Amino acid sequence: MPIPESQVRWVEAPRLGLWEQLYLPAVVEGLKTTVRHLFSPKVTEEYPEQEPKLPPNYRGVHRLNRDEKGRVKCVACYMCATACPAHCIDIVAAPAPPEWQADGREKYPETFVIDELRCIYCGMCEEACPVDAIELTTLYDLTGYTREELIFDKEKLLSVYDYTVQAGTDPIRTQAGRLGPASEPATFRRPTHS
Amino acid sequence: MPVFDPTTTAILIVVLLAGALGLAGYLVLSERKIAAWIQDRKGPNRVGPGGLFQPIADGVKMFLKEEVIPAHVDKVFYLLAPIVSVSTALLALAVIPIGPTTPPPPPLPIPSGATPAQLVDQLQRQQAEYQQQTSFVLAPGLDVGILYVFALGSLAVYGVILAGWSSNSKYSLLGCLRASAQIVSYEIPLGLAVLGVILMTGSLNLETIIARQTEHGPYWFILFQPLALLLFMISLYAEDNRLPFDLAEAEQELVGGYHTEYSSMKLGLMLLAEYVHLVISSFLVTVVFLGGWSLFGLEALLGDTALTAGLKVCILCGKMLFLVLFAQVIRWTIPRFRFDQLMNLAWKVLIPLGLLNLACVMVVLQWGLPWVTLTGTSLLLLVGAGYLSTRWQGSVSVPRRKVVPLPPGLPPGVTFAPQH
Amino acid sequence: MPVYVNDKPVELGSQRWNCIQAAQQAGVFIPHYCWHEALSVVASCRMCLVEIGEWKDGKVVMQPKVVPGCQTPVKDGMVIVTGEYDRRDPTLPPLPYDPAYLQAGPPGSRAKKAQADTLEALLLNHPLDCPVCDKAGECLLQDYSFRYGRSTSRMIDPKNTPPNKPHISSKITLFTDRCIMCTRCVRFTREISGTGELCVVRRGHHEEIDVFPGRPLENKLAGNVVDLCPVGALGSKDFLYKQRVWYLHTRDSICSRCSSGCNIYVDSNKDIVYRLRPRYNPQVNGHFMCDDGRYGYHFTHAAERIRRAGLLQQPSTSASNDPDYPMRRWLAWPHLVSRLRQSLQSLGQQPQRRVAVILSPFLTVEEAFLLAKALRSLAPQAQLALGPVPVVGDDDRYPKDVHGRPVEPTRFIIRAEKCPNRRGVETVLRYWTGQVTPAEELLRQSWDALWFAGGYPEAAVVEAALPSHWSAPPLLVVQDLFPSPLTEAATFLFPATSSFEKEGTFINAMGIAQTFPRAVRPLIDARSELQLAHELLERPGLVQAAAVRRELGRAIPELAHLATIDPPAAPERIELATV
Repeated sequence: MPIPESQVRWVEAPRLGLWEQLYLPAVVEGLKTTVRHLFSPKVTEEYPEQEPKLPPNYRGVHRLNRDEKGRVKCVACYMCATACPAHCIDIVAAPAPPEWQADGREKYPETFVIDELRCIYCGMCEEACPVDAIELTTLYDLTGYTREELIFDKEKLLSVYDYTVQAGTDPIRTQAGRLGPASEPATFRRPTHS
Repeated sequence: MPVFDPTTTAILIVVLLAGALGLAGYLVLSERKIAAWIQDRKGPNRVGPGGLFQPIADGVKMFLKEEVIPAHVDKVFYLLAPIVSVSTALLALAVIPIGPTTPPPPPLPIPSGATPAQLVDQLQRQQAEYQQQTSFVLAPGLDVGILYVFALGSLAVYGVILAGWSSNSKYSLLGCLRASAQIVSYEIPLGLAVLGVILMTGSLNLETIIARQTEHGPYWFILFQPLALLLFMISLYAEDNRLPFDLAEAEQELVGGYHTEYSSMKLGLMLLAEYVHLVISSFLVTVVFLGGWSLFGLEALLGDTALTAGLKVCILCGKMLFLVLFAQVIRWTIPRFRFDQLMNLAWKVLIPLGLLNLACVMVVLQWGLPWVTLTGTSLLLLVGAGYLSTRWQGSVSVPRRKVVPLPPGLPPGVTFAPQH
Repeated sequence: MPVYVNDKPVELGSQRWNCIQAAQQAGVFIPHYCWHEALSVVASCRMCLVEIGEWKDGKVVMQPKVVPGCQTPVKDGMVIVTGEYDRRDPTLPPLPYDPAYLQAGPPGSRAKKAQADTLEALLLNHPLDCPVCDKAGECLLQDYSFRYGRSTSRMIDPKNTPPNKPHISSKITLFTDRCIMCTRCVRFTREISGTGELCVVRRGHHEEIDVFPGRPLENKLAGNVVDLCPVGALGSKDFLYKQRVWYLHTRDSICSRCSSGCNIYVDSNKDIVYRLRPRYNPQVNGHFMCDDGRYGYHFTHAAERIRRAGLLQQPSTSASNDPDYPMRRWLAWPHLVSRLRQSLQSLGQQPQRRVAVILSPFLTVEEAFLLAKALRSLAPQAQLALGPVPVVGDDDRYPKDVHGRPVEPTRFIIRAEKCPNRRGVETVLRYWTGQVTPAEELLRQSWDALWFAGGYPEAAVVEAALPSHWSAPPLLVVQDLFPSPLTEAATFLFPATSSFEKEGTFINAMGIAQTFPRAVRPLIDARSELQLAHELLERPGLVQAAAVRRELGRAIPELAHLATIDPPAAPERIELATV
């Protein structure tokens, strides 16, 4: 849509003085900057030898969290799969095993597969998750020899959880300790309304 | 060092070529390193200590890459282009002094009554004496020295044009069109800039030009012709397709420019030619404006002839290297010009300034004024050009719409060159 | 005198309607849980609370109390103000409300507050387990809470969490804590199915739906309670946790499991059918469908289905003892169809050769017509017959009494005839041959060529129709869904398509022709019978049921009105809030 003429204001280019018009001072000024940087300390991280320090809210490989009994925390609500813009999450839900149902677990993911190659690491899945079961970790060095290798199933994603817990690199969202509204039965919310 | 012997010449050719090629390789490394350092990176450091063997790896890579000749190219010219590029670049090395030089003897005065035999004898003696002198030039005593370099520099554009034309690709064609227009335009200020020096020395011979600057102490032409040096270096960067004038191979617009369709060692040769051009240009600036092998009498400190020669080689090559590195730093200092700006710079700024400067030189020489006057006129011309620019700048000749005039000077909060 | 709903006048004539229906006529939706058009009114959910009033001396005098809309019959000149009065058409002039009424607040504010309070009360004990609830996405509690409720909860006490009751039925599970006690399910079993398995036990906050001991909810209409349930309390075990409803694509279709021809919605995702739901059609099935149809879609995705078209390779003379023969060669369709056409053409040139064609009652009218046309044009001597018609018992009528005997008036019939289109195929046969010959008669004779167009969801029907000493004719062409002795012996074998995978028209037992679109794409190597006939006739372009329908409408006077049926409207997602 063209901008209406009434909203356009034409201005002249700023006029340069003699000093600027000589250009050479500006070139010298530029040279001063470049030469300063020539000798300034370098910021390169030499990656394989030097591990980068990532912020704790970095969005890397996913993990599936475990609940306090070591079971997969996911309730197979498909919110992540629905939110996923890359359609990389595939879940097959099933009724939870009978012994889980005592804890109010009615549904669980029979399979939970993420295609890490298709994922764009936007973090919508963890934002959508009502029980904070899926999270993006700070693991970034995701490699494999085949495409199949990078299609992570439930066990692999749980093992990422175990690894990150052991390594102490929990994502910042876990450290925040906030739980979604659907995990309400365990902790009754205080009234937010007067 | 007598180089009139064919064997010596052959050896010198080999040494010079090998040196130039090796240097070009390391210039690629320094280019990358300087780029990295200016951007606060470390640069290539994987091959050898600190990346020192990177040129070797690059060379091996160039050789081992697949030789692709696209189906749509004009094969003869396509293959000819890198050859033309490299050979013209390397041929110019023939007259470039790389160390201590001796100017050729002046023309013999012909005394009245001397017999031809006497004259021949005198000439032969003079020549024999000249040939005993040290001269680190492949073809010493060439009286058209600078012309020869310029001629080859102009020929080099054929490599570019052939490459762009024969590639049958729009990027290549645009690149070569830009390159040819640019090189043709900048030849003129290049010649005008050096013409003043030639008038002052009265010779086209590069050894003679060095000699003129060293005979009576360090009278480098940078002192008398600073404006000419500026014009010369700007034009040289344009001639060499170096930033800020690398319009012919502007990656953002033209992929690889005129060598888009080249691969493997053919591309290597193209790039090699560019670096050899840079080296030659730097040598030329050193010789013409920076006093060649002289350095404030430092070169004469060592009494030993051989050591002095070595020192002079070091000084000359050191100046050349400094200029090359300076060009590489400039690359990251000044952003690329737009093509119309490039043309405006040549035709509206450099050529008038070069002509006025030449006129000043002629006036000074005609009336025998001291050379120092030229320093003053140079500075005056520069400031005058700047002043005129402030008068004429920023005026839209046919404004498309009503333009709101701004007060003169920069708007508040905007500075171009903060003066500390 | 018109009735005013949110200032909008609407003429209702002599219809006896309640406020919800009257508002619907005026384009105003009044939310409700317990009220259902087909069930009795109990006014227990209190979601449909509205304000009513009447004209008095040129003023509108409102009753001081909100009343349930479902229970309040509409009288002439009544004024209804709903909680959504503030969303009314702003161009309408406001009625002259009694100033005393307006003093208490803008019109509708009382109803609005009452509805919000009702929702809050319903949510007191309703668990927030939407993530694991299958109803999420089509849940009326969600929808109404979003539109009429409040965004935060003031509940600080623990909620009631009664245990789930998966034992109430083999097909249905009850998530007791999610129930909002609308009792639609209870009323359904009492009024529609008449079986009365469900009841309400306990009182107050501890009310629960339950079954009587030893009397689980097992009747042929039980599946409807899942659709009736406005929340996720009653869940279909067949659909439980299979898909989230927002992934499902809903298409209109016609049930093919009996000759009632119930109107249904087919919910599918990625060409897999996940569930069927009844679609309201007062002439055919009302609001409901039976469980035979509801759960009878699984055959569409059964592993045993015939998936590829093939040719039976006979042993060459030299290798007649080869145990590998006769062998089935799977071939590409175009190749197979052209060979088939050649065989039929050569038969057609020899009028003494006997050719029989059996058209099953699972074909659509269009398919039967075009197949008959194709075969008659290739082999004019072909005799046509109606395929075996599966009949199971007698028509099953609902409601029933406690002894299982039907009670008048009948509200729902499950037909004994387990095929959708006997009458349609019979009409086509009568057009081509003037009579209807049963397939059993033809199968007893010997033929040079036999074409069997099947599509039977159960191979047992085909097996039962075959005589015990049956031997395959030299040329046997079979199209069917499942392997049977016929498909084993078929020279040309084509995979058939289920009714979800094709478009067409069924004519049900009452003679109502119903056109339906395709719900899912067929198996990758299967093509509809219509397509096969189209290719046999060497017609150009894509096959379109609508075009064939026009053709047969012109040809068959009885079906002339089919020519005027427009192609089915573009399928769209149905808003469940209007159930």
